[in-house]
Amino acid sequence: METIKDALDFRDFSKAERIGLILFTIFLLAFPWIGTGSFVKAVMIQFLLFSLFGMGWNTIGGYGGQVELGKAQYVGIGAYTVSLMMVWWKIPFWVSMPIGVLIAIGYSFIIGYPLFRLKGHYFAIATICTSLVLQDIFINWKLVGAAKGIELPIHEHPDFLYMQFKSDTYYYYFIMVFFYVALFYMNRFRKSKLGYQLRMIKDDEEAAESLGIDARWCKIKAYTIASAFVAVGGGFMAVYNLYIDPYSVMDLDLSIKIALMAMLGGAASLWGPIIGAAFLVPLDRFLGSWLGGYKGLIGVDFMIYAMLIMAVSAYQPRGIWGIIEQFRRKGK
Amino acid sequence: MIYLEVINIVKEFGGLVANNNVSFQIEQGEIIGLIGPNGAGKTTLFNCIVGFHKPDSGKVTFKGKDITGFKPFETNREGIGRTFQIMKVTTGMTVLENVMVGAFCRTDKRNIARAEASEILSFLGLEGVKEYHINELPIAIQRKAGLARALATKPELLMLDEVASGLNHKETEEVVELLRRLNTEKKITLFLIEHIMEMVMSVSQRLIVLDGGEKIAEGLPGEIVKNENVIKAYLGEKYAKSH
Ligand SMILES: Nc1ncnc2c1ncn2[C@@H]1O[C@H](COP(=O)(O)OP(=O)(O)OP(=O)(O)O)[C@@H](O)[C@H]1O
Ligand SMILES: [Mg+2]
Repeated sequence: METIKDALDFRDFSKAERIGLILFTIFLLAFPWIGTGSFVKAVMIQFLLFSLFGMGWNTIGGYGGQVELGKAQYVGIGAYTVSLMMVWWKIPFWVSMPIGVLIAIGYSFIIGYPLFRLKGHYFAIATICTSLVLQDIFINWKLVGAAKGIELPIHEHPDFLYMQFKSDTYYYYFIMVFFYVALFYMNRFRKSKLGYQLRMIKDDEEAAESLGIDARWCKIKAYTIASAFVAVGGGFMAVYNLYIDPYSVMDLDLSIKIALMAMLGGAASLWGPIIGAAFLVPLDRFLGSWLGGYKGLIGVDFMIYAMLIMAVSAYQPRGIWGIIEQFRRKGK
Repeated sequence: MIYLEVINIVKEFGGLVANNNVSFQIEQGEIIGLIGPNGAGKTTLFNCIVGFHKPDSGKVTFKGKDITGFKPFETNREGIGRTFQIMKVTTGMTVLENVMVGAFCRTDKRNIARAEASEILSFLGLEGVKEYHINELPIAIQRKAGLARALATKPELLMLDEVASGLNHKETEEVVELLRRLNTEKKITLFLIEHIMEMVMSVSQRLIVLDGGEKIAEGLPGEIVKNENVIKAYLGEKYAKSH
């Protein structure tokens, strides 16, 4: 009960933020009806999806301050679980997606245990490596489609259980529901014991330990929560795209984008990952279709992101949200 | 049962012996000072007790329990709190939040943690600064905030690494007063490293002296100032004469 109350309690936010949240919610609800094309709707779905990823990343990467660059492996676990269970055993999305989340939790716990013996850059590199290894395994694993990936069987009629719809609008509303669940969860998380403990670990890990905090265990918990979030998004990607392969759901690109968006928007803040996704998802789409024509320009998009994040973080390490807060503090 | 017992602690850093066979005991309710010149191994000894370092050999027991090699968070849960000589100046959390983190060790509820943190902050006279970030505060207040944070974990033995360094005379007196109150009102056993002689002499009931990693003396403040080894190693002729 108290948990739910906390999740829905935005009283500690400024009036502007609360009004912003209401307007934003009205906008999201109305969006499919304002007559935009399918391209814009697809961008919106991506935006909500990456906000979800970013909010998950924010637990360990933002509040916990651990440079985590391996979230793609959990997108993959979520996506593959849903796809394979559907192809092999016709198991509906609403069963396979939670199973994917459980697998992600178990897997993240197992690799989190040794991973969090490492600190700083070593940790960051190790997260990249574990993700690359898993991707490599899937690229070579015949049983799960290897590099060719998996196509999901297309149902003739719309099917809620299997999350198959003719219109993107349905997918839009479903990802929106996930988005809000994530948002409310994070609203509670930031006020929870674990949230406070992680922020202390980020500030000063030795001091945190001296205050009775088992830093490694806290990090593992946060990492596991982050992985669960991301696996939900992965499962959604499978039913939304109806096709997955190790490149689309487990690539390093994806891991970096998730972390980058949250950092650009403002790590360790509730709105940060959402703001970051609002900037980078459209930019990503735009650059993708613009640069797509030029074969030699692969990677230019990442150069642009890198410059963006350097520009923002040179000014304010806490990203766009940090800049907003800085002005608010000055204004007072 | 001996309250805190340190037996033959040895700690080397690549050939440098920072603690060499250090042994002593502390009784419940005491205020003990740990002194010694710079680099004597005082902080290292603290770290060996609370678990930031694993001693190369030797043993630490607390209330009869062997806590050698415990992690810092484990020794904290046993009831040992500590403050740091150098407090990282952090920007991420307010003073209140810092103290709440300490209080969260004993509760899962935010309201309880907040209430306890507020109580400690008012005990230390810090209500006025609770919404500030630590980096926005003068050093004396920062140190108090560090103390508040440690106190919030409800330690029964509190180890203070130079709480009074960098403070002026008046601030130092306030800290002394505060420590006495902690000892008498809250029944906390205090073990403190201190460089300011007047302070450590007046507040401690007993002193332990380290030099070059070894314990060279132990006794009442009055005895320590007369101890020849100590005079030679540390206090200097001047201090000995003037007392
Ligand atoms: N982590 C470490 N690695 C290597 N050497 C260390 C380490 N910590 C302390 N030392 C060395 O051990 C010796 C004792 O240091 P320690 O910090 O315990 O002294 P101290 O008595 O606390 O001194 P001060 O009064 O200056 O705080 C010093 O020579 C120091 O350089
Ligand atoms: Mg020291």
